[in-house]
Amino acid sequence: MEEEFKPRIVGFLCNWCSYAGADLAGAAKLEVPSSLSVIKVMCSGRVDPVLVTTALLHGADGVLVAGCHPGDCHYRKGNYYARRRFTILKKTLETLGLDSERVALAWVSASEGPRFSGVTNEFAKKIKQLGPNPARKEISL
Amino acid sequence: MAKKIGVYVCECGANIADNVDIDKVLAEVSSLSNVEVVEKHKLLCSEAGKAFLKESIQEHGLTNVVVAACSPKQHELTFMNVCEQAGLNPYLLQLANIREQCAWVTPDKEEATEKALRATKAAISRVRYHAPLEKKEVECNPDVLVIGGGIAGIKAAQLLAGPHRKVYLVEKTASLGGKVNEFEKLFPNMDSAAAAISQEIQKLLQAENVEVLTESEVTEILGFLGNFEVKVHKKAEDQEMGLDVGAIVLAIGFALLDPGSLSQYGYGKFDDVYTSLEFERMNASGEILLKNGKQPGSVAIIHCVGREEKGYCSRVCCLHSLKFARYLKSRISGVKVSQFYSDLCIPGKSHQKFYEETKELGVDFIRVQNTEVAENGKGMVIKYETEAGLKGSLEADMVVLSSAIEPSSDTSKFAEMLNIPLSESGFFSEEHEKLAPISTPAEGIFIVGCAQGPQSVADSVVQSEAAAGKILSTLVPGKKLELEAKTSEISDAFCTGCQTCISVCPYGAITFDEAKRISVVNEVLCHGCGNCVAACPSGAASLKHFTFTQLYQELEEALR
Amino acid sequence: MSVGSEINNKGQKPPVLVIGAGISGIEASLLLANAGRKVYLVEKSSYTGGNVIKWEEVYPNMDCATCMVAPKQQDMLANENIELLTLSEVESIQGTPGDYTVKVRKRARYVSMVECIGCSACFDPCPVEVDNDFESGMTKRKAIYIPCAGALPNVPAIDTENCLRFTKGESCELCKEACMFEAIEYDQQDEELELKVGAVVVATGFDTFDLTKVPQYGYRKFENVYSALELERLRATNGPTTGELVLRNGQPPKSAAIIHCVGRVEKGYCSSVCCMYSLKHAHYLQDKVPGVKIYQIYSDLCIPGKSYQRFYEKVKEHGVDFIRGNVLEVSEQGKGLTIKYKTEDGKENTIAVDMLILAPAIEPRADSSEVAKIFNIAQGDGGFFDERELEPAPAGAPREGIFIAGCAQGPKDIQESVAEAEAMVGKILSLSK
Repeated sequence: MEEEFKPRIVGFLCNWCSYAGADLAGAAKLEVPSSLSVIKVMCSGRVDPVLVTTALLHGADGVLVAGCHPGDCHYRKGNYYARRRFTILKKTLETLGLDSERVALAWVSASEGPRFSGVTNEFAKKIKQLGPNPARKEISL
Repeated sequence: MAKKIGVYVCECGANIADNVDIDKVLAEVSSLSNVEVVEKHKLLCSEAGKAFLKESIQEHGLTNVVVAACSPKQHELTFMNVCEQAGLNPYLLQLANIREQCAWVTPDKEEATEKALRATKAAISRVRYHAPLEKKEVECNPDVLVIGGGIAGIKAAQLLAGPHRKVYLVEKTASLGGKVNEFEKLFPNMDSAAAAISQEIQKLLQAENVEVLTESEVTEILGFLGNFEVKVHKKAEDQEMGLDVGAIVLAIGFALLDPGSLSQYGYGKFDDVYTSLEFERMNASGEILLKNGKQPGSVAIIHCVGREEKGYCSRVCCLHSLKFARYLKSRISGVKVSQFYSDLCIPGKSHQKFYEETKELGVDFIRVQNTEVAENGKGMVIKYETEAGLKGSLEADMVVLSSAIEPSSDTSKFAEMLNIPLSESGFFSEEHEKLAPISTPAEGIFIVGCAQGPQSVADSVVQSEAAAGKILSTLVPGKKLELEAKTSEISDAFCTGCQTCISVCPYGAITFDEAKRISVVNEVLCHGCGNCVAACPSGAASLKHFTFTQLYQELEEALR
Repeated sequence: MSVGSEINNKGQKPPVLVIGAGISGIEASLLLANAGRKVYLVEKSSYTGGNVIKWEEVYPNMDCATCMVAPKQQDMLANENIELLTLSEVESIQGTPGDYTVKVRKRARYVSMVECIGCSACFDPCPVEVDNDFESGMTKRKAIYIPCAGALPNVPAIDTENCLRFTKGESCELCKEACMFEAIEYDQQDEELELKVGAVVVATGFDTFDLTKVPQYGYRKFENVYSALELERLRATNGPTTGELVLRNGQPPKSAAIIHCVGRVEKGYCSSVCCMYSLKHAHYLQDKVPGVKIYQIYSDLCIPGKSYQRFYEKVKEHGVDFIRGNVLEVSEQGKGLTIKYKTEDGKENTIAVDMLILAPAIEPRADSSEVAKIFNIAQGDGGFFDERELEPAPAGAPREGIFIAGCAQGPKDIQESVAEAEAMVGKILSLSK
């Protein structure tokens, strides 16, 4: 009997835009996947590629990083750096033999409750299709 | 000391209670290590709830608190205050969002409960690693340096001057007043510019605690908000002077585009082609005369000179061109005035009236797509083409070129000295185009008047008053500056001196210690975004309250 | 007249009254509060944010308007020095600069600000539905309402002009029954407050020109003629179409025209912001309805300043037909609209579009003359409040102690409003040293 795959998705949300957008999705009672665990950071620029990689190595089936739309960053340009790091991270993951499709970067503004719901549901669907993360090794840091 | 964590779950009336099996959550977390007490409450943010929380913290002698309730954006501050009142450092608190991001978005109760449990456990794991942060304070110097003695600088200095605050006004030239000194009148009311500027200068010189340094230039600025060290070179005595100030206002004004580079306008080629400033000066001297000493019979005023090259509209030219028409009509009876323009830019409640009244004096307005100043043997002729493509020509004795306003030649010097970015147009870049128009990313440094962008005297005055407002509000004599507690810090031991962090900091809050060869965070300027932490290749940089360890704890719980 | 007259200082600096909790009022309040001054922020409506929160994005960088303003609103609400009085209006002011006594009428909200947690359970059961003004009437709201999702403070108010308890004396308690927090209090009373303040900042904002006064544009006559504010609400993610730009039939337009300067001739001044926000509207259309054909009919393009022209060029590059002309008449052709206009050379022409957006002039608030009377402020050009000397010229005797900021003074954009709010604070703090 096939056990249903319950993905474990980690979302790093920036305090000013995407976290507020997620709250607004809540206020509007929209559906957000229960597989998503949210970790709040002040800025998407705080999200260390090492953190994302660690998440994958520790069994996260998907990692979503969400920040303010380019130009709207509360700290002026943190999200631009997030975008750059993310591009490089995607390439690095492939080199490490990890599936770069399991990480995603999205821009969600504080007023985009429906968008947050849409983005997270779509990502969860994709992760479900990809199946469980084969890289589930314990690594001590 | 052993940790004692209190876990409080809010029912939020029925908002959470209806969707999450709170008892199950409580039962599961109570067995976790260090968890001293678990409680649920109907409404923790109510007065009763807050009192309950405070009492419980004190009763159990808690070292850390977890509140699983609504979004931290709603009540983090509320619960932090409760902790403080209970004698617990407010940063030893962590919230788990089980309402907006759990109960309200997960229709299946079992899934919602499981998610709430995960979030609460994550908060418990994380809070173990919280450090008691203190909101630091730093001494600041309330004195201000205003650079530029034009109308903007003068107004800023006037408002800032006071018994407990010294204001230094440094002006490059020998006199105060800047460009307004050269005008006869100001639009749209055609008030006397000379009267206005002399009144403002008088007010300034009578103000207490103001030191005006003319024929002086700033040569060096070091430091940061509340603590700037400035060096000023006094040209007359060839002496250098050191000043300590808390804030700096850049009011260095503007330059006028030299139309000599635009050969179609004949500037420098024909005798009676003048720039707007030259025309102002001539008019202010009392007479408008051609080079041959006669009064002009017909004058052409050409708008938008250099607009295409600069890529922006200088905002005031249409208005001062109208003013010029008025000058001419009032000084020379029967003079023919023609204005060549592309779009009439006259925004605001009073400017259209100004235009209409000027037009009524008998001024011709000709909309063109381009103009050329040429000669036809008799004198100058304006060759123009309308938008429809029709060509025309008009003879004129005198041509006035309303040319673009450019940044002052000192702009790049100060941009570099103060690490202020320049916008595409070359003017200083403000911190936020809409919400912080006169602040810069370099805290404590303000840009006002045409240094910030081409604008009228009235607008410049508003901006200088705004700078005064910001400074008077922030740098209060005797009051210390309160700093953000959740700042970044860089470990001496691990920093390799690569300076990557310095290049990514949006606030210039990190400096390089040449002696120790390591980067150091300035807590006064740090906004706590954490960009440096993500950029640091050696893990030396760490963001308080968002350390790797703390985030990792949340991660671990999410993936258990 | 001595401009250095001290604002009265009786040991502790007196509070300041700020009228209007739009962007200017909020900015002034925060800056004053930061300086240690107590602020009474009096707001006529039940919510804060004024006009700016109606928009999705602001020019020229297309910043998210609500994301931009929300942190300021939240700071203001959390600030201990700022006492926000919503549903309140100033009735009278007596005294001298530094020592004013202001009477404020604080209307009852009928919902407790302390108990209500903003769960919205009270809306559904309410039997009364009326046009939602915030959405320019494009959607309905109940008699107990918040104007939009994300409104701050997140506490509804009961509209006594429509609630059956007040209009018909009925004993309807449906909202109260639905509330789990006993937050609904029908027995709340209006209050008369007496505030002692040292200075006043009037930041009451603006209204837009009534487009029904110019019937040739077809507003409220033809289906798909929209005011600029209505278009903003369509584009807003918390608006009636969650951000989709569609016609009344729910379909996206294939073509749209934006008309500038509507009401300019009637008002006699240029409203300063319409060319720029009309370009923003073109950008909205280009963004949400790819391939849509856009026309903009204008008289003079007003895009002053170091960054606005770049925005215009970008919008133009993405495909907008700019027509310099004067609209003569808008008529309906089947389901579409025909716009007849005249260009400067006198030629008449027409274009056919699905959607028409009108940029109305900015005008003073409808109650400006009452406010002017209360504060003894002159209404100058355009009917806007006459500010204290802005030009550095000897002005007539100013009403010391009363300052004007934002669009209450005259049409201007957000940047100028914020600078003006900060400037008025500069004046107040300077006078109270």
